[in-house]
Amino acid sequence: MVSFCALVPGLASAQSSQFGVRGLGAPGRMLSAHAVGSAGAFGLFDGESSLNPAALTTLPTLTAAFTALQDYRHVENPAGTASVRESRFPQLGIGGPLKGLPLALGISFSNYTSRDFTLATSDEILLRGVAVPVSDTFSSRGGLSDLRFAGAYKLGGAWVVGGSLHLITGSNRITSARSFADATFLTARQSSEISYAGVGFDVGVVRTFGPNFSLAAVARSDGHVAVDRDSARVAQVDLPYTFGFGVRWHPRPSVEVATNMIARTWSGANSDLLAQGGTGSENTVQVAVGAELVPDLKHPNRRPIRFGARYGTLPFVLVAGDQPTEFGVSVGSGIRFAQQRAGIDLGLEHVWRSAGDYSERTFLVTLGVTIRP
Amino acid sequence: MRRSVLCAAGVVAAAAGMLACQENLTSPGQCPELCPGGTPVVFDTVLSAVQGGDESVPGYVSPGQGSALLVSNGLPSTEARAVYRYVARFDSIAVRDTARAYTIDSVMLVLNLVARDTLVNGLKVYLYRLPPEFDPTVATFDGVEPLLNDAALLDSIAVPDSVNSGPIFAMFRGVDTSKVSIPLGTGGVLAIGVKIAAESPTGIRLGSLAFSTGATFNSFVTLDVPDTTTSIVHQTVARGTQSNSFVTQSPFAAPPATLLVGGEPSSRSFVRFDLPPRIKDSASVVKATLELLPAGPIPGLATDPAILDVLPVLSDLGPKSPLDEQRISQATLPIGGTDTVRVDVTQMVKLWQSASERPQEVALRLRPEAASFTRAVFGSTDPVSPVGSPRLHVTYLLAFPFENP
Repeated sequence: MVSFCALVPGLASAQSSQFGVRGLGAPGRMLSAHAVGSAGAFGLFDGESSLNPAALTTLPTLTAAFTALQDYRHVENPAGTASVRESRFPQLGIGGPLKGLPLALGISFSNYTSRDFTLATSDEILLRGVAVPVSDTFSSRGGLSDLRFAGAYKLGGAWVVGGSLHLITGSNRITSARSFADATFLTARQSSEISYAGVGFDVGVVRTFGPNFSLAAVARSDGHVAVDRDSARVAQVDLPYTFGFGVRWHPRPSVEVATNMIARTWSGANSDLLAQGGTGSENTVQVAVGAELVPDLKHPNRRPIRFGARYGTLPFVLVAGDQPTEFGVSVGSGIRFAQQRAGIDLGLEHVWRSAGDYSERTFLVTLGVTIRP
Repeated sequence: MRRSVLCAAGVVAAAAGMLACQENLTSPGQCPELCPGGTPVVFDTVLSAVQGGDESVPGYVSPGQGSALLVSNGLPSTEARAVYRYVARFDSIAVRDTARAYTIDSVMLVLNLVARDTLVNGLKVYLYRLPPEFDPTVATFDGVEPLLNDAALLDSIAVPDSVNSGPIFAMFRGVDTSKVSIPLGTGGVLAIGVKIAAESPTGIRLGSLAFSTGATFNSFVTLDVPDTTTSIVHQTVARGTQSNSFVTQSPFAAPPATLLVGGEPSSRSFVRFDLPPRIKDSASVVKATLELLPAGPIPGLATDPAILDVLPVLSDLGPKSPLDEQRISQATLPIGGTDTVRVDVTQMVKLWQSASERPQEVALRLRPEAASFTRAVFGSTDPVSPVGSPRLHVTYLLAFPFENP
C-alpha cells in the first residue's frame, strides 16, 4: 500500500484550507487517527504517526495503519462564504519490531502539505464594447507528500533513539478557467503541473523515567525542495527545520496525559516564495495538550476516551504581517478486536482558523484502521 | 467478542458512509490574497486581412446548375426568367414489341415552387411555349424575353397566397391539349419559359434539375391495343427536365475593388490573414469573429435570405483551393442591410493555432449558389475599396502566469 502511494503521491493529503492557497499549501500533521483523538498531544510517542522515528518501538508487533479523513469546512472571507467538504487519506504506514532485536523499522506515507482547493471569483469586464459578466475558477489538486523510511533502536530500558530518511515528492495540477456569461465566448482553461522533489532526515529520541513518565524530542531537516513546472526547473524552496518536544505522564493508571510543542522554521522559505511572486512565509509553532482515559483497566484498548486541544500558527500568509492561526479541540476513541489484531480509531476535531478577514471552521472526522497480522 | 465485532462493523459502516460523501472544494476567492498568479486578463484586438491577399473569383456554379431557378418581375436586384426543356416524349409506346400510337387525354405541367416572398400576394406564374430547338444552356435574357409573348402563352397558374412552396401545376384538357401538342418531326421536345406577375415586384425560386426538383411534363394518354381483351389502356407518360436554366436581364456586376459573393455564375471570395505570433503561439482564443463590411444594401428577396458560408481553406491553391466543409461557419445575410456582417470563426482560428501547415485563409460562399436573388458585395483590402477591408476580431487570453509554487 505504501509503495502504491509512493507512486501516486496525490493520494495522500490532509485537510485543505484557504490558508494553504499560497506558498506550498496547508501543512499536514502526520498523525494517526489514534493521535488525532487527543489533538496530537501523543504524536511524538505514537508509532503509527510519523512525527518521531523513535516512537516506532511502541508498536508491539508488525502493524499496518491506514487513516482516512473527512473534512466539513465553512469558509469565510471578504468575497463571501461557502461550505466545502472533501475526503482524504492523510496517513499510511507499516512498521514494527524486528524479532529478537531491539530494533523497529517502518515505512510511512504522509501528507506534507496540501494544495487542494478551488476558488471561484466573478467580475464584469468590457468586451467589444459590452459589459460581460465573467466567472473565474482557480483550482489546485495535489501537494507535497512525505515518504519516510524510519528505524528506532532501544538503548537499554530507558532510551530509544530513531532516525529516518524522508523523500519529499508530489505534484500539483493547477488550472485557471475563465467562463463568460455570454455563451458566444468560449471558456478559457489553462493548466500547469508543478512537481516537487526533496530529501530530508530526522532524528528522534524517547526517554522514559519509570513506567509513568517519558519525554520525547525530534529534530528534522528537510533541506529544500526543487520545483519543476511542466518539466522545467523553475524554483527551489527551502523547507523548514523542525524541532519537537513532548511530555507524557501517567498520573493514575486510568489516566494518561501528554503535551507537545513543535516548531518549524518556515521563514526559511520566505525569500524563495517572495522571489516567485508569492506572499512569503513565517515560522510556526504548534502546541497540543491531551489526555486518554481508560474506563476498563482490564481492557485498556476497549473504547478509551481521548480528548485534547491544540493551538498553532500556519506558515503561509495571505496578507503580509497577518500570520494565520488555528485552534482545535478534539475527542476520540477506538477499539481493538480479533485478539488485538485489528483495531479502529475514530477522532473528531473542530478547528478554527483565522487571519484578519479570512476565517474558517471545520469539522474533521478521522478514521484509522489498524491491522496487526 | 461478538459485541466488539458488531460495534466495529457499525463504526466501519458509518465511516464508509462518511467517506462516501461527494467532494466539494469550491469556495469564494478574494483577489489578490487568494489569487496566486493574479486573475486572467482578456485581450481584444482587430486584425486586418493581408493587404492584397483577398480576391473574388467568379464561375463556380452556372445558372441552372444550382438548387433553384430564379424568376422575377421588376425586382430591383435582378429581372430573371426561367426556362425548361423536357425530355423528349415520343408519339408511340412499345407494347409487346410493337410501337403503338396513343391519344392524349390531358396534359399537366408541374413546377416546384421552392420559395417565394410570402409578403407579396397575387402571385401568378405564366408558362410560355418555346421553340423545340431552344437550348436553355445557351439562353440569354434578350433571346428569351421576346419569345415570352401572348402568342406563346400556354397557361397561367394562380398560386394561392397561402402556398409558400411545393408543386404547382397547369392542366390542359380537351382542346387545350393542342397548346402542348408536339408536332411530328420536332423530336418530341417541349420547352417552356416562365414569367411571373404579382401585386408588387417580387421573385420566386423554382426547382432545378440539379437538385432533382425540376419541372415535369405529364401526359395522360389512351393506348388502343386491339389484340388484347382489355383493348384500351390508360397510361401516364411522364417526362422530366432534360435541361434548365434562368436568364437575367443585367447580370450582376460588383463594383471594382470589392469582394463579390454569389451572383450567377456564382462568385466566391478568398480572404487571407496573418495571426501575430502573440496570438498564434500562446493565446487562448475565446472568440474570433470575421467582420465583413457590405459595400451597399444587400439585395435579395425579402423573406428568402441567403446564407453566407465561411469555410477554412485546406490548402492555398488559389481559386481551386480545397475547402474544409467540416468546419463551416455561417451567417444569414440580412436583405437590405448595410450593417457589418459578423461570422463566428473561433474554431478556425484555433485550428490555425494548432495546425501551422493550414493556411490562415477563409473562403466566402453564398448558399444557395447561383440560386438566390441575394448577392453580397463586401469591401476588400484594395486601397480604393468603397468600404473597409475584412477584419478578424479576436478575443483571447495569454498564458496564465501561474505562481511557482
